[in-house]
Amino acid sequence: MKVVTGVVGNDIHVVANRLIELSLNARGYEVFNLGVNTYLEEFFDAVVETGAEVLLISSLNGEAEGWSREVKLLKAKYKHLDNLIMMIGGNLVVGSANAEDIIPKYKNYGFDIVCHQVDLNTGLDLLESFIKDREVKDRDTKESNE
Amino acid sequence: MSQSLVKNNKLLIDVGSTYFKLSSVDKLEQHFRDFNKGILDDLMHKCGNTIDAFNKEDIHICSSANGGLTTLIVGITNTFSLKYATNIAFNSGINIIDTVLYQNIEEYSIPSDLIDVVIIVGGINSNGDIFSAQLFNYLAQLRYSNIVFVGNELDVPVVEKNIENVAVLPNIIDNRLHIVEDYLREYLTNLYQKDIEGKEDIKHLYDITSNQIFPTPYVVNKTLPLIDAKFSVVNPFILLDIGGATTDIHYSKDLVDDNIVTENEYDRLVFKKLGVYKSKQSLIFTAKSNEFVYELLMHLKVTENIFEEQSEKATKILMQLAIFLVLCKISHYKKTYINLKLLSINSIVLTGGITKVLTKEEIESIISFFYKKILNSEHNPVTVLDSNYDIWTLGAEGEELCQ
Repeated sequence: MKVVTGVVGNDIHVVANRLIELSLNARGYEVFNLGVNTYLEEFFDAVVETGAEVLLISSLNGEAEGWSREVKLLKAKYKHLDNLIMMIGGNLVVGSANAEDIIPKYKNYGFDIVCHQVDLNTGLDLLESFIKDREVKDRDTKESNE
Repeated sequence: MSQSLVKNNKLLIDVGSTYFKLSSVDKLEQHFRDFNKGILDDLMHKCGNTIDAFNKEDIHICSSANGGLTTLIVGITNTFSLKYATNIAFNSGINIIDTVLYQNIEEYSIPSDLIDVVIIVGGINSNGDIFSAQLFNYLAQLRYSNIVFVGNELDVPVVEKNIENVAVLPNIIDNRLHIVEDYLREYLTNLYQKDIEGKEDIKHLYDITSNQIFPTPYVVNKTLPLIDAKFSVVNPFILLDIGGATTDIHYSKDLVDDNIVTENEYDRLVFKKLGVYKSKQSLIFTAKSNEFVYELLMHLKVTENIFEEQSEKATKILMQLAIFLVLCKISHYKKTYINLKLLSINSIVLTGGITKVLTKEEIESIISFFYKKILNSEHNPVTVLDSNYDIWTLGAEGEELCQ
């Protein structure tokens, strides 16, 4: 499975970005790492060029919130991204806040999986279980259509 | 072979849309072209004695007089396929007439002009099934001379089956989403070469040279790493070549925030219909559409009636306008293919006929007006004039030394 990843906005946390790439590779994903300082349009464009199924955006300095508000609007301009799995992780706010408050907010921005201050492996476990759930759902839908 | 030895034995000729320029070790000539004559006849009439003094193998010619090739690019994203192909085309001396984002292809109008080359690009090699009937229907309505596919490998069979005479080259996007320039650049440069050879007027120039005739923008681009040899230019810089038909901008890559990683230190951008002679009407039209131009005319102490005049003063004003409009087009004031970080520029180098018409002070006055009015800044980059056409001389020598 193909994953596009990178650090959004004016954020240069390159070590975390590299760790995410290594961990994804170790779990068997084909990774397209856009690196740090990546703009939203580049993420979506990379998904289109690679045919990736997952977009994993990371943010370490709380920049994500400003950018994430644009996600739905921008994604709507693309005609073939309806099935894209959208994941975001890292430190998603400036200052402190509870995950209970943050997760619904980011889901409302258009993300399927939101990991605020969650360790990397736990986050990637969440991704795997999300993919499995979706596969089951897709299979059920297909069978009921037949 | 030393550089000076090369230079001593060579005659370098640039055939522009408006002027000929000749450079040998002991003299520099510039002549306005006579459009009632063929290029070679005109050149021999004006500079026959100089040319006759050199052997064919010692004469090197570059030309932009064939107007350059036009291209239309179909790609699937702005950030990768369209941007990469546009970058390669510009750096190969090609003029872009349009770019089409494939997902919206049905919404684009069909250009009426004959397009020299259509470029189709999109997807890394493991991502196929991208191009289908929508593309083929669109292409069926286009008029073009050449078509090249530089997208993903998986779509090659369907593309070859549905597009007649399509040339297929390796993908310009590699599996890490990086640009691969060489194959498409070579293809486009060869097309340019064939175009020159095919144009009656230009192919006769091979009567006086046994060397390949290169596109002028290609030669200028070769110069930029050597520019320190002749000028005190401080990086980062932009080079403006405001000609009779088009305006070329060559810029240090430091001036753009870009996801393109290439070996080139400099890129090129061209505005096809922005020139002070052949494209004069289009320049005036662009000027009249710019909201700051009337203030600029006031700053220059003239009115818009100057556009109707045929005088030396009118030519000067047009050239000053061209500088202003070009800077506007590449600044954040206008959203285009690229926007340069103009506040970071240390030098602006000007070449072409403009250096024979405007003084350094007249150019600096416009640049300073632009920075104050559009960028709201007191920034003042150093202006360098290439009055002796050292830019293309250096480039031609550099090319010679590379061979």
